[in-house]
Amino acid sequence: MKLIEARGLTKEFRIFSRSEGVMGAFRDLFHRRYRILRAVDGIDFAVDRGEMVGYIGANGAGKSTTIKMLTGILVPTAGTVSVNGYVPHKDRESYTRGIGVVFGQRSQLWWDIAVIESFKLLRRIYDVPREDFRRRLQQFDDILGLSGLLNLPVRKLSLGQRMRCDLAAALLHNPAILFLDEPTIGLDVLAKSKIREFLKEINNEYKTTVILTTHDLGDIEALCPRVAIIDRGKMLYDGSVDNLYSQWGQDKLEDIVKRIYMGQKPTSGSAGGGWDIG
Amino acid sequence: MVNRLLLYLELIRMEFVNNLAYRSFYFTGILNYSIQIGAYFFLWDAVYAGNRVIGGLDREEMITYVIIAWVVRSFYFSNLDRRVGTDIREGKIALELIRPYSYQMVKYARSFGEAIFRMLFFALPAGLAIYLIRPFTLPIGWDSVVMFVIAVLGAFVINAQISMIAGFVVFFTKSPTGVYKAKRVIMDLLSGLLLPISFYPGWARDIIQLLPFQAVSYLPNMIYLGQISGAAAFKVLGLQVFWITVLGLLAHLFWRFAVKHVVIQGG
Amino acid sequence: MAMKLPSSSKTAARYLTIFIHYLAQYIKTKMAYRWDFFIHIFTEFLQQSVSLIFILIIFSKVPAIQGWTRDQVLFIYGFFLVPFGIYSGFFNHLFDVPEKYVLQGEFDRILVRPINAWYQVVVETMRPELLVSMIVGIIIMIHSGSRMGLVPVWWDIPLAAVLVAGAALVYAGVYTFLASLGFWTEGNLGLMPMVYNLSQYGRYPMTIYRGPVRFLLTWILPFAFVGFYPATIVMHRYEYMGYALLTPVVGIVSFVIAYLFWEAGVKRYRGTGS
Repeated sequence: MKLIEARGLTKEFRIFSRSEGVMGAFRDLFHRRYRILRAVDGIDFAVDRGEMVGYIGANGAGKSTTIKMLTGILVPTAGTVSVNGYVPHKDRESYTRGIGVVFGQRSQLWWDIAVIESFKLLRRIYDVPREDFRRRLQQFDDILGLSGLLNLPVRKLSLGQRMRCDLAAALLHNPAILFLDEPTIGLDVLAKSKIREFLKEINNEYKTTVILTTHDLGDIEALCPRVAIIDRGKMLYDGSVDNLYSQWGQDKLEDIVKRIYMGQKPTSGSAGGGWDIG
Repeated sequence: MVNRLLLYLELIRMEFVNNLAYRSFYFTGILNYSIQIGAYFFLWDAVYAGNRVIGGLDREEMITYVIIAWVVRSFYFSNLDRRVGTDIREGKIALELIRPYSYQMVKYARSFGEAIFRMLFFALPAGLAIYLIRPFTLPIGWDSVVMFVIAVLGAFVINAQISMIAGFVVFFTKSPTGVYKAKRVIMDLLSGLLLPISFYPGWARDIIQLLPFQAVSYLPNMIYLGQISGAAAFKVLGLQVFWITVLGLLAHLFWRFAVKHVVIQGG
Repeated sequence: MAMKLPSSSKTAARYLTIFIHYLAQYIKTKMAYRWDFFIHIFTEFLQQSVSLIFILIIFSKVPAIQGWTRDQVLFIYGFFLVPFGIYSGFFNHLFDVPEKYVLQGEFDRILVRPINAWYQVVVETMRPELLVSMIVGIIIMIHSGSRMGLVPVWWDIPLAAVLVAGAALVYAGVYTFLASLGFWTEGNLGLMPMVYNLSQYGRYPMTIYRGPVRFLLTWILPFAFVGFYPATIVMHRYEYMGYALLTPVVGIVSFVIAYLFWEAGVKRYRGTGS
């Protein structure tokens, strides 16, 4: 049994096309015209417990939409999805107890109160036993160096400090899966490496499965043996990073990915598995 | 000097056009004012049952008073206090200092652009619509119309100045929403929007007459009703000029303080 | 082995615990902005005082409005302030939903947490200090009640509590409904101030309104049930007893309908159906 299993996962959005002018606005009141945008288009995706998978794609490729379906925020238009024994969008309240989510662009923490107070509130929300909470906090502090930050309100933190706290917050309840949507966006090199180190350690110790979207291929190189590449809603590649290197006969991941985004195919015999479209 | 004037005219025009883009807000806004006016209409209608005269106004005059007070409010009302308060809270005042114009004049000009928009798309249609549903008294002569229009312009300036000062007060209290709300509640009561000042007990009237607020709603409304006319109406305009001067000075002092604060503490 | 509680009461206990913790956090935040906190309480008092002055001045000029005396009108206003306080404390900020939660996407964060979404929004945006209106209201009721020689009976307080709960549910329902519209409009419609002003109609005797307005306030946006109807029975006037006793029913129906709308809105946000 896979931890995450999605088949034919599809998400369509209806985009309302607004008409021009006052008369147009009036017409829209009665007759709205829509076009369908297929943000995610029949994706198959399976992940085992303890894997760390990088999920990449150009802007607007469908990464965030996929993550939102896997976390139960969005309901798929078609296809099946099962994560950690749940259908995410159905049993949302029970399912979300077992996952942690970090949105790089948006903090999970309360803006005006000290970080530690946010943590205590989250402990209640996720029903974390006091002893576990204390132990984990201690451990996160050791790796992420939180102790100086815990008594500051979030609004006083730098982006890197905030992200460290957000990561700790998402892991306080020891989730089976951690979803990270661009966790290193806007961070300096030192902050990035700290976060990567932390994720590795968490994955090692708790066998936490990590799914992360990113534009920074350094995240993939440092963390993810496996990468999934999505473009215009379709899965272009799903396999090991090593395989990518050998298929393309190149040693810079950035060059490979750039070519994939530009629609090129590997030159040195595409015998290896992973390519979804011919 | 002329260039400055052109700049402020351009700002008035810009704000006017800006507001056009959000016209849907004004449909709900008109409904909102109708609800407000309706509430007071029903209440006063019931209070006046039996056709008495209260505070020098009869039933028709009272209903007209309420309608005019709210319609005129839709003209002079502005979010100037919020805008200034936001500039202060977000430290934008410092940015404004490097620009070659008068900060206050820019704010007034934009508010005036919004006010013209509100008058054309809001106050006048609302007034007309109400007149069709429930005719109210029209001014008796052209002289009172002219005096009323001038007094309403004066009301706009005084209200804008009070809002400006309320915005500056955010410097001291650090509680923007509280200040805005307090200003609104005090204005509602003391300007005569809720109740004609003539309804208040003598001692309260004595105090209110020493304050600028009644020049925003009560006095213009009384000019509209013809209760104040001739020389007395000119005296009202004179009083407005007096308050515009005093409040202008006060706003200037606040501005000077704000600038000093920004220069010393960096916002 | 510990006795296993039925799951519903366990859930209730959990939600209560979470509420208490949110409340504790809220107080800590407010203490960081003490000035703001006290100014808000002060302006709330100021606003109630202005409404009170308004009523007092009118009654200094006339002895009664359509047979309603000063003390009766004050009593209705006092009663109105109690559910109004609950609304101000807990439901007023549902108006953040269209802009802050839907348009700016904060609702994603709500959806990845294992608590009911509506409950999360309410406890995140509550302003419990505004409950002070309830105290003002109770003082006004006691004052005007004793002036009109009201003799309390034992069932007054439990009855008033049930009526207040019903009235607060009317408020919760209307504001939940308005917030739900945000899932479709994905932005502010500007309806909130309008409905707020309409709700103020509920603090005067319904007899002053004409037929259609009274109908609207009774059956469409039932703000007659946040003040006038329930207040009459608490001051022992029984002409509107039927309506007054309907208050809890109207409250529950309003809230249930609104909550179904909310659920439909959340569904839309998550992109089901369509």
